[in-house]
Amino acid sequence: MEDSAIIDLYWSRDQRAIEETAGKYGSFLHSLVWNILHSRGDAEECVNDTYLRAWNAIPPARPAALRAWLGRIARNLSLDRWKAGQTQKRGGGAAEVLLGELDDCVPALHGVEKQLEDQEIAALISAFLRRLPAESRVIFLRRYWYGQELADIAAERRCGVGKVKSSLFRTRKALRAYLEQEGVIL
Amino acid sequence: MKSERLFRILGLVDDELVEEAVSASPAASKRRRIPRRMLGLAACLVLICGLGLWYRAGGQINASGGADGADPTAGSGGSGHSEGTVFMSYAGPVFPLTALEADFGLTAERTLTWDFAPGAYADGEPRQWGAQVTDRYVLANPSEEDVTVTALYPFAGSFYDLAQIRPAVSADGGEIKTELYAGPYAGGFASAYGAEDPDHDTLNLAHLTSWEQYQALLEGGGYLSQTLAEYPELDIPVTVYYFSDFEAPHEQYPAATQAITFTIDPEATEILSYGFNGMSWDEESGWRQYDYFVPDGVTREPETKALLVLGADIGNYVLQGYENGGCDAGEEIGGVSCTVARKETTLDEALDYLSQEYAAFYTRGWIPDHPNPFDTLSFEMYRGAAAELLVQYGALSNTPRDRYADGRLDDILYEVLIHQRVLYLQFSVTVPAGGSVTVDCTLWKEPSYDFHCSGSENAGLQGYDLVTRLGSSLDFTRQTAALENTEGIEIVRQNLGFDLENGVTSVELSTEEHYYLEVRVRE
Repeated sequence: MEDSAIIDLYWSRDQRAIEETAGKYGSFLHSLVWNILHSRGDAEECVNDTYLRAWNAIPPARPAALRAWLGRIARNLSLDRWKAGQTQKRGGGAAEVLLGELDDCVPALHGVEKQLEDQEIAALISAFLRRLPAESRVIFLRRYWYGQELADIAAERRCGVGKVKSSLFRTRKALRAYLEQEGVIL
Repeated sequence: MKSERLFRILGLVDDELVEEAVSASPAASKRRRIPRRMLGLAACLVLICGLGLWYRAGGQINASGGADGADPTAGSGGSGHSEGTVFMSYAGPVFPLTALEADFGLTAERTLTWDFAPGAYADGEPRQWGAQVTDRYVLANPSEEDVTVTALYPFAGSFYDLAQIRPAVSADGGEIKTELYAGPYAGGFASAYGAEDPDHDTLNLAHLTSWEQYQALLEGGGYLSQTLAEYPELDIPVTVYYFSDFEAPHEQYPAATQAITFTIDPEATEILSYGFNGMSWDEESGWRQYDYFVPDGVTREPETKALLVLGADIGNYVLQGYENGGCDAGEEIGGVSCTVARKETTLDEALDYLSQEYAAFYTRGWIPDHPNPFDTLSFEMYRGAAAELLVQYGALSNTPRDRYADGRLDDILYEVLIHQRVLYLQFSVTVPAGGSVTVDCTLWKEPSYDFHCSGSENAGLQGYDLVTRLGSSLDFTRQTAALENTEGIEIVRQNLGFDLENGVTSVELSTEEHYYLEVRVRE
C-alpha cells in the first residue's frame, strides 16, 4: 500500500492503518530499535509505542516521508528507553557506544557560538551530509541514524570493517570542524 | 549529554538523506546471481556426473529451512531435548554402525563404553577432557552361508579435528583399513543480527545444537547418499587473471594496496576471487573493484592472487596503487606494480591449483609439531568438499547464502575445514556362517559444553550422548552402555540409569533413540 493511502487510513481513524504500517515498516522499525537497545522485550514495546505515537499524531500530521518519520519517533523512544534503563543500571551497551562515537562530533567552544534550535542544526548537518561522497554519507547515517553495527555495514557495503571505521572517523572529524566553523553549540 | 542531543538532532536530518541511507542496502537490493546460462551449464554437468548417483549438493538439506537458524535454547540446562542440556557447543552424538546393504541377515549386539580416564585428550595434559569411547558390535550370522557386508561407521566432526576424532576400527582384535567419506556441511545459516533479525540474512554459520537436528539430517538416508556420491565436476570455462611479481613502496606505505577496476555486465559475468582483501561494486553500472595489500614478504598474506571470470571476459581493466586498503580518491600512490597473467582454463583446474595453494599457505602458518588437518585429510577430499560448498551454498548455487555470495574462494577453502559434518568410515566385514565377528570402533569423543566465560550454570559440565538406531540398517538384538574409570567424575544428569555410588556402571538400553550423560570433574 502506498504511504499516502496508509496516511489516509490514519486520517479516517481506521485501525487498519496500524496493520498496514506494521506490515510495511515493522521489520525496519524492529531493526532500528534493536540496533539501539539490543533487547527483544524493549524493542517490541518501543515499536508498539511508535505505532501508538503515529496514531495520536496523524492527524493533524501528514508526514511527507512516512518511513523516516516513523524512524524518527522510534529512535527517540529507543533513546528514552535506553536512558530509563541507565537509571536502573540495566542499559544496553549499543546506545552507549554510539553516543561515545558521536562525542567526536561535538564542537569545542570558542566564544562566538550560536544557540540554535535542533531543527536548525539538523538543517546544517543535512547540508554538510550532501557535500559528502554518497558512500560516506550512507555509512554515516547507517551508523548514527540507523544504529547499525560496523560489521553489518561492512557486510552490506561489501568492504572491510576497517574501511567503515576509517570512513566514520573522517566524517565525524569533518562534521565537528564544520559545526565549529558554523559556530554551533550543543 | 551533548552527544545524546546530537543523536536526536541526527534524527531530524532531511528525509531524503535518510531514505537514501536506509534503502541503500545491497543485501536487500543487490543480491548477486550467477548468470542463467551458466546455471544451465552447471545443471548439465550435474546430469553428466550424477548418472546413477545422488548428486551431492542436489539434496539441499537446508532448503526447507530445517537447519538454517540458530537454536534459541542453546545454553539451557536440563530443559532442552528430552530434559538433557542444550549446550552452547554441541559435539554431536555417537552414532550406531550401519551397512550399505539392507536385509543382509546379520544380528547385532552393541556395547558402548565411555572411559573417563584422564589424559585421553591430544594435548597430553593430565586432566579429564572428553572420553575414550569403545563402540563394540558383535555381528552374528545365523545363516548357513558366509555374509559379507559393507559397514559404515558415522562420526560427527570437522576436517579440522579429523586427526583427533577419526575412529580406529578392528575386527576380532585385528585392525581394519577403512575408507573415509565426508558428508556435506551439516549445519545451516543464521542472521548476523541473531534470531530476531526481521530480514533473515544468512551471514553467519549455524552449527547443529541438538541430536534432533542430527536426526532430521540423517533420517531418510539422503545425507548418506550425498556423502557417498561423487563430488561435483566444475568443467566450466573460466578466464583466470593471476597476479605476481609485486612491488610497492612498503617503507613509506606499510599498507600499500593495489586495486584492479573494471566494468562487467552482471548478467553475463560472475567473478570469483582468491587472495584479495577487499571488494567494492556498483550493481547497476557493473563497476567492480578488487584490491589486495601488496605482499611485503613479512605480513602473512597469500602471495597467490587470482580473479576467476565466469562468462564474458572483463575486458579492459585499470590497476592502481593506493596508500592503504581504503582505496579512496586522493590516496593514489605510484610505485605499485605487478605482472598479470591471463589464462583460459576450467573452473576445475583453477580450483585444483588454488586449493593446493591454500593448503600450502595454511600449512605454512601452522603451529610446528601440532596435528595439521592436512596430515590426515586427502587433497582430493578437501578440494571436492570445496567444490561441493561452492555449488551448494556458494556463488555457483542457485540460492547462494549471503556468507559466500561475494565469491571469495578464500572463505570457501577455509570454511570447508571447520564446517561440522558427519563423516563415515567404510570397511568390509565377513561374518562366517553360524559364527560371529566382534567389531570395535574406538575414538576420542569431545564433550558438549558451555563456554567457561559465559556465566552459564552448566559451565564445567561435559555432555555426551548416543543414538541407538538413527541411520542404521542393522538388526539390533541388544544394546548396552557402560562406564569405566569414573573415579574423577560425578554424574549430573542422565537418562541411562548409571549409579556410581552403588557401583552400577553398566546398563541395558531399552527402545529409546537418544540417551544422554552429563558429567562434571570432581574437585
